[in-house]
Amino acid sequence: MIARRTLLAAAVATLAAGPALALPQLGQPAPAFTATDDHGKPVTLSQFAGRTVVLEWTNSGCPYVGKHYNSGTMQALQRKETADGVVWLTVSSSAPGMQGYFTAPTARKWAAKKHWAGTDLLLDSAGKIGREYGARNTPHMFVIDKAGKVAYMGGIDDRPYEDPESLKGAKPYVAMALADLKAGRPVAVPTSQPYGCSVKYNSAD
Amino acid sequence: MRLMTGLLAGILGALALTAPAVADPGPGPHVNADLVADHSGIAPGQTIHIALRQQIQPHWHTYWKNPGDSGEPPRLAWTLPAGFTTGDIVWPTPGKIPVGPLMNYGYEGQVLLPIPLTAPASAAPGAKAHLAAKVEILVCAEICVPETKEVALDLPVTAAPAPADPTWGPKIAQAIAAAPAAAPLTAAFQAKGATGVALAIAGAPLKGADAAGAYFYPASATAIDHAKPQAIERGPDGLTLTLAPGYDFQGGRAPATLAGVLAIGGKAYEVAAGPGPAPPGTSGLGPPAAKAANGGGADLGLLTAAVFAFVGGLILNLMPCVFPILAMKAASLAAHGGAEHRAEARAQGLAFGAGAVVTFVGLAGLLIALKAAGSAVGWGFQLQSPPVVAVLALLMLAVALDLSGVFEVGASLQGAGSGLASRGGLAGSFFTGLLAVVVAAPCTAPFMGSALGWALTQPAAAALVVFAALGLGFAAPFVAVAFVPGLLARLPRPGAWMDLFRKALAFPMYGAALWLVWVFAQQTGPEELAKLFAAGVIVALAAWLAGLAQKRMALGRRAVGLGAAAAIAAVVALAAVVWPKPAAAELTAEPYSPARLAELQAQGRPVFVNYTAAWCVSCQVNDRVAISTSTVRSAFARHKVAYLKADWTKHDAAIAAELASHGRAGVPLYLVYGKGGGDGVILPSILTPDIVVKAVEAADR
Repeated sequence: MIARRTLLAAAVATLAAGPALALPQLGQPAPAFTATDDHGKPVTLSQFAGRTVVLEWTNSGCPYVGKHYNSGTMQALQRKETADGVVWLTVSSSAPGMQGYFTAPTARKWAAKKHWAGTDLLLDSAGKIGREYGARNTPHMFVIDKAGKVAYMGGIDDRPYEDPESLKGAKPYVAMALADLKAGRPVAVPTSQPYGCSVKYNSAD
Repeated sequence: MRLMTGLLAGILGALALTAPAVADPGPGPHVNADLVADHSGIAPGQTIHIALRQQIQPHWHTYWKNPGDSGEPPRLAWTLPAGFTTGDIVWPTPGKIPVGPLMNYGYEGQVLLPIPLTAPASAAPGAKAHLAAKVEILVCAEICVPETKEVALDLPVTAAPAPADPTWGPKIAQAIAAAPAAAPLTAAFQAKGATGVALAIAGAPLKGADAAGAYFYPASATAIDHAKPQAIERGPDGLTLTLAPGYDFQGGRAPATLAGVLAIGGKAYEVAAGPGPAPPGTSGLGPPAAKAANGGGADLGLLTAAVFAFVGGLILNLMPCVFPILAMKAASLAAHGGAEHRAEARAQGLAFGAGAVVTFVGLAGLLIALKAAGSAVGWGFQLQSPPVVAVLALLMLAVALDLSGVFEVGASLQGAGSGLASRGGLAGSFFTGLLAVVVAAPCTAPFMGSALGWALTQPAAAALVVFAALGLGFAAPFVAVAFVPGLLARLPRPGAWMDLFRKALAFPMYGAALWLVWVFAQQTGPEELAKLFAAGVIVALAAWLAGLAQKRMALGRRAVGLGAAAAIAAVVALAAVVWPKPAAAELTAEPYSPARLAELQAQGRPVFVNYTAAWCVSCQVNDRVAISTSTVRSAFARHKVAYLKADWTKHDAAIAAELASHGRAGVPLYLVYGKGGGDGVILPSILTPDIVVKAVEAADR
């Protein structure tokens, strides 16, 4: 009787909490996905098998994204890493009508204006990839190693502030993780606090 | 069934539409900030509190020190006169601010962030200290706007400590008093795979605290998954929260400490847990009774609560505990199928609805009255009482026997008078509605906890509106079937199959009766169970006699003797299960008085005080299952415990005052005083022999 009630209550609590975000597990295979990019082309994670992949969540209207793009640090890292053979996927999970929502043309326009230098720009307005990865912020960063396993999750650096001044002397966790992978070392700091704006998921679903 | 699903989908869809549309940030500033001080001046060497006051636009929020899934806390860069120093912000307990599937911790409306300010001993009285800060505040609604402010305050340096500021002195003092406090708590956490972290917290402040809505706000943003619900398990000395692990627990790692704030029962405490086994007394009592969430949770409005209650009522129709009753109702509706019976079907539907609503309102009224009288009851309380469960079991048995054709409820009513011929069925429908609610009520507890808990804290009229809405929702599908001609026409026509159908439906009812007997067996012992079985046989006999009487009357014969025998048998059956059993292990208690307590304490004896009342159901349950047991009796003898009883059956102002001084509005309350004197330890309101024995052992140490 009591057990049954507890179960029921737990089930109800789970339902009431709504669609919760799952967490990918460090050292485990990264969740597979297929998305459409800003040119309408389908992109799957598996097509990059054998290469290191960076996932970067973005929102063009978010001040924290602005900190890294207006200063040029994000594009500089994108250029350096893609030149080294790293695949850099920038993902927008803003839902229609929400801040930072991208259609293919607005995404291309933003990329051109910001001199964005990643490999591909993925449109995830349904929030499907975002929810699978438990992406909660813009920018929220993930690094997937050549074996397809999650190697890093968290912030781009150790400064969870909007103030551009905070870039000075920041520890660049993503760059550090990529350097560790290139050198064949275990990633020294495999997780950190993701920070920034909330990902603008469609709150009604 | 399809109709129900459609209705539900429609209602849920309508709720979803109320989700906010995209926010236009509008003109700023969205937050105003300034500095205020709790004293009108500061003396050399003195420490006072100043506070950053934030006045936040409606629907916008700023953040706690751990902002949760996004955002950042306000940051201050001070420019202070030489030698002046500021301490850490005293963060008020935040509220939970859900954003889509994410969770933020922060503040809305006006909030004060108190900050200690110390003047150097060398400060010159008569001068003005110019305190200035650049404040960066991230303020968010659906989107976020960073706002930068320059704030300043000129504070006179006084030779002697200055008086408190009339406006801000009390407000800052209040903010500091309400902030999470350091407390004598023991806490430990254990990771349970990748799915949960059990955080167990014990300590005196948690004893007897209302754990409903308890919440752990982690200090670190990577410790837990903020958006996941925190399951609460209570224990006699504390509680265990099951949290979803955050990045700190990834890859088999665990943090060295899990620190944060526990908000519980309107209070908040600092918590720092290390890895390790749970402290004793932090589990075993199950989750708290559901009630409206506190601490930043949105208040349910009456209309919202009524709407949710209506939806909850609809969902109740799918509950296994009411299914047998509905099976019975379906048989009755089928009997009124066909276009020629439309008017009667409508009347039947309305009677069923009236029965459901009246019963819900009646139960609510009873619950409100019991609460007012001081009994610790919750929704579903009627099934906590073994006599009620026994009576219900017998009732189910009687209904099943009726369905099996042993006797006829409708027929006997018809036989009672020609005037009742047409209304006999209506009374039956009303009764079906009533029975369905009584059995369904415990099922509402988990689903409707929030709305019902809220309702019971409201004025009686509002509570009754919510319960009436629940009844309406519950009755709606059947009333709809009775009123929509298309639906009614689809019901099969009556015929000989109905008798078969009816007899088949008896079996779910036998099942329901057995389920209730099983519940009864959990609550009582083998002796009581034997009595209930005997009563069941007598009920079957009574039903058979009644059936015989009905058959005779149908043939025009008198059947007074048989009828009377059936009635007597029914009364005997009821009496057998409701009659209180003699309390075999009754402990001898002295009446409580403060003077007697002091006298016993002076003798160095441990004292157990039982605040009870004859009408308090949980007091009686505790008495039977925990206190009046041989285990407790021998423990009392072993530790020379004096047993005092404060009987609150009749109004007693002195006892009421004692209860109030322990923060209680009613009984039960159990206090154990140690032989060394001092204040009493409050035991949980739901006792087990083990809890009592442990408490008196501790009192004898």
